Amino acid sequence: MAAPPAVPFVAANAISKSYGGAQALRGASLSVLPGEVHGLVGANGAGKSTLIRILAGVTQPDTGEIAIEDRPVAILSPHAASGLGMSFIHQELAFVPDMTVLENIMLGLPKKKTRLGLVDWSAIQRDVAPIIERVGLTAPLDAAAKSLSTAENWLISIARALVWKARLIVMDEPTASLSAGECRKLFSIIRGLSAAGVAVLYVSHRLDEILDLCSRVTVFRDGRSVAVLGGPDLTRRGLVQAIVGGAVEHLPKSREATGGEIVLSVRGLRRLPRVEEASFDLRRGEVLGLGGLVGAGRSELARLLYGADRPDAGTMTIEGRPFVPRTPAGAVRAGMGLVPEERRTEGLLLDKSIAFNLSLGNLTPLLASPVLPFISPRKRARLAQATIRDLSIKASSPEQPVGRLSGGNQQKVVIGRWLRSKPKVLILDEPTRGVDIGARGEIHRLIRELAGHGMAVLVISSEPDELPDLCDRVLVMAEGRIVRELAGTDLTRSAIIEASYALTEERVSA
Amino acid sequence: MSDAGYRRRLSPGTRAALGVFARYGTIIGLLVMILVFSFLSPHAFPTYNNFINVLSQASLAMIIAGGLTMAVIVGELDLSVGYAASLHGVLVTGLIVANHLPIPVAVLIVLALGALIGVVNGVIVTKLKVNSVIATLGVGTVLVGLSFAYSAGVPIVSGVPEAFLQLALGRWLFGIPNPIIFMALVFGGLWLLVERTAIGQEIQAVGGNPAAARLAGINVDRIKILGFVLSGMCAALTGTLLAARLGSGTTNAADSYLLTAFAAVFLGSATLRDGEFHILGTFIGALIIVLGFNGLNIFGAPTFSQFVFQGAILIVAVGLASLGRSLAES
Repeated sequence: MAAPPAVPFVAANAISKSYGGAQALRGASLSVLPGEVHGLVGANGAGKSTLIRILAGVTQPDTGEIAIEDRPVAILSPHAASGLGMSFIHQELAFVPDMTVLENIMLGLPKKKTRLGLVDWSAIQRDVAPIIERVGLTAPLDAAAKSLSTAENWLISIARALVWKARLIVMDEPTASLSAGECRKLFSIIRGLSAAGVAVLYVSHRLDEILDLCSRVTVFRDGRSVAVLGGPDLTRRGLVQAIVGGAVEHLPKSREATGGEIVLSVRGLRRLPRVEEASFDLRRGEVLGLGGLVGAGRSELARLLYGADRPDAGTMTIEGRPFVPRTPAGAVRAGMGLVPEERRTEGLLLDKSIAFNLSLGNLTPLLASPVLPFISPRKRARLAQATIRDLSIKASSPEQPVGRLSGGNQQKVVIGRWLRSKPKVLILDEPTRGVDIGARGEIHRLIRELAGHGMAVLVISSEPDELPDLCDRVLVMAEGRIVRELAGTDLTRSAIIEASYALTEERVSA
Repeated sequence: MSDAGYRRRLSPGTRAALGVFARYGTIIGLLVMILVFSFLSPHAFPTYNNFINVLSQASLAMIIAGGLTMAVIVGELDLSVGYAASLHGVLVTGLIVANHLPIPVAVLIVLALGALIGVVNGVIVTKLKVNSVIATLGVGTVLVGLSFAYSAGVPIVSGVPEAFLQLALGRWLFGIPNPIIFMALVFGGLWLLVERTAIGQEIQAVGGNPAAARLAGINVDRIKILGFVLSGMCAALTGTLLAARLGSGTTNAADSYLLTAFAAVFLGSATLRDGEFHILGTFIGALIIVLGFNGLNIFGAPTFSQFVFQGAILIVAVGLASLGRSLAES
C-alpha cells in the first residue's frame, strides 16, 4: 500500500473558541488528507460542530490556525470556504423544494450563458451529466426537488459540491434520516469520491459506519482532539474509550429509590422513523432522565407525550386513566407541562414582559373576581414578583421584557410558568442548554424542588454530565429505542455515553 | 491615525432619545399637526364642532380599523373587511325595506353574518392552512359577488325608514353623534378584551409567538378564528352605520375603508409599543389620518393630495419608527 501523501488538504491546528463563558474548543486539531475519508466523533458538546462552523467560515476561532495544502488561510465567510474547495452538507438539507433538480444543483453557482446573456441550460446539462452519473442520481433533471427522497436530495448536494469542484466534502450526520438501503448507496458514493481524490470529513455518532468507511478517525472530547486513530488502532473499543475518556468515575448516589405511585405510564409508543419503541413508567416525586445522542429520538418522544405529534402505536395513561393527547392544549388539560428545547422560539414571547410570560397558559389566578372575565394587573404584578423572588430571577421589574434577560433567567421564567399551575408531569427538554454554570445549579435545584413537591419530572439532556447529578433514574435512548435503564451506582456519565452508542452487549470492561 | 478600527457609535443619550422617538414619534407628529393646523386656520380647525364632525365622519373607518387590529394581533390579515361592510350595508337595508324586518332584528342578523364571515375566514386560514391574504381576498371577492346578486347592482334607496337613518344621524347621548358613541364602545370593548381579559392575553400570545403559545397549552386555531370573527363583526357594524348614514344600500360603498383601516392599524403599530399591533395605537393612527385629511380639506387641498398624504404618512411614520428602534438597539 502506498504511503499517504504527506501534505494534508486541510489542517486545523490548536483551535480554541469560546462562546460567552463556555469554552467550546480548547486547542483542538484536525487534519484531512487529500482523497481520505476521515471520521470525526465525540459526545454531544465535545466541539465537533464548532470546528465545522469554523471550517465553514460561519464563525472565527479565538486562537489557532488553519492551513489548506500548507498555506495558512483565514476563512472569513462561507463564500471564502467554498472558494477554498470545501463544501458542507448539513443534516437539514438546504434546497428549494419547488425548483428542479438541475436548478437546485446549480443554485448559487456561476452558470454558462448564451450569447444573449440568458442561462444556457442545455450547455449546463451537458456539463453536469457526467457528475450526475458519477453520484448515481437517476431522477430526471427537470423533476421538482420536493418529489425526491431524502437520499436523492443528498445526491443533489453531493453533485453541487462536485460541480463546484470541491476537494473536501464535510457531511454532518448524513445517515440520520436515510434508510438502510439508502445508506449503502451513500457509502458506495463516498468510496467513489475518495477514489477520485475528493476527501470526505464524515461526522457521525454511528460507530459502525465510521469503522466501515473511514481510514482515520479524530476523536474530540471536551473541546480537545484526544486521539487520531487509524490502521490497526481503529477499533470500536478504542473509539469508545477515547470518546468516554479513560477514567470511569463512580459518583456515589445517596438518593433513596423513589417509591411514589406511577403517574405517567407509557407502553409501546412508536412514531417512525425516529421513535421505534418506548415503554416506561414515571413516578410521583421522581426525576427521570432521558439521555442519548442528538437524533436518538428523545425530543420526538417528548413531542408524542405532549400531544405535539400523534403516535403510530402505543398507549399512555396518567394516574391510571387513558391519556390520548391530540394537541398540546389537550395534554396541558390532562396535567402535562413542557419546558421546550428552544426556549427563545418555542418557550417565550421575547418582546413581552416577565409577568406576561409567567402567566401564559395559566390565567385563572389573575382574575380580579370569580364572575367577571377581567384580569387584575395588580395581581399579575404581585404574583410575578413572588415568582421572581422564589426563583431568584435577576430582573429590574416584572414588566421588563423577557428578551433582555440572560439565558438562565429566561429559562427560569419558562419553568416558573409551570411552577404555578403545578402539572402532574413536567417535561424539560435541554433545561440548561446555553445557561451559565451558576444558573445551571439553580435550575437543577429548582427541578429537584418541583419533584420534592410531588411532581413527576422528565428531563431530556444531551449533556452526559447533567443527568447523573440531577436524576434518580436515567433511560438511555439510541436509534429510537430505550436501550438502557440506569439507577443508583450504575448511573454515571460514562455509563450513559456507553449506552448511547448502543453498546448494550459489548461493554467496555477495561 | 490610530482610528483604523473606528466605527460610528451612538452615545447612550442619543440612543435613548431615538428609542423615545420610535415610540412617541407618531404622537408627537399628531400634536405637531394639530398645532400647525390650529395656527394656520384658527377659526375653522381647532373648534369643538370641527372635531366632532371629523370624528363622526371617521368613526366608520375607525370601527373597521378596530376590527382589523384584532385580525393582525393574532398574526393574520383580513382583506375582506371593506367588501364585507359593503355587503352588510346592502343586506341590512334590503332586510328592512324588502323583507320588512324590524330594525333591531335586521341589524342582529347582519352582525351574526359578520361573525359567520369571520368564522369562514378563520377556518380557511387555520384548518385549510391557506395564507390569510389569499383566503380573505377570496372570501371578500365572493362577498362582492353576493352583494351584486342580492341587489342586482341597483342601490336600495326608497323606503328606508327614518328610524334606521337615526342610527347614524341621531345624537342619543349628550348631543354626541351616534357613530362616535359606537366607535368609542368598540374601541373601549376591544381594549378591555385585549389588555384586561384572559382571552386577551392568549390573543397577544398567539400573535407574538404562535409556537410558544401552542406549547403553553393555548388553542391557537380557536384564538385566530376569534380574531377574524371580531374583525367580521366590526365590518358588519360599519356597513350598517354606513347604510344608515347614506340612507341607502349601495354595493362598493365601503370598499375604500380597507385602505384607511390598514393605514391606521400600521401607523398604530409604530405608536407607544415597538412595532406591535394594539388597539390604542390603531386609535391614534386613525386620528392622525382623519385629522390630516380634515386639515388638508380646510385648506382646500385637492383630493389627490389626501391620498398622497395617507400613503406618505404611513411609510414615513412606520419607516422612521423602525429605523429609530434599530438605531436605538445598535
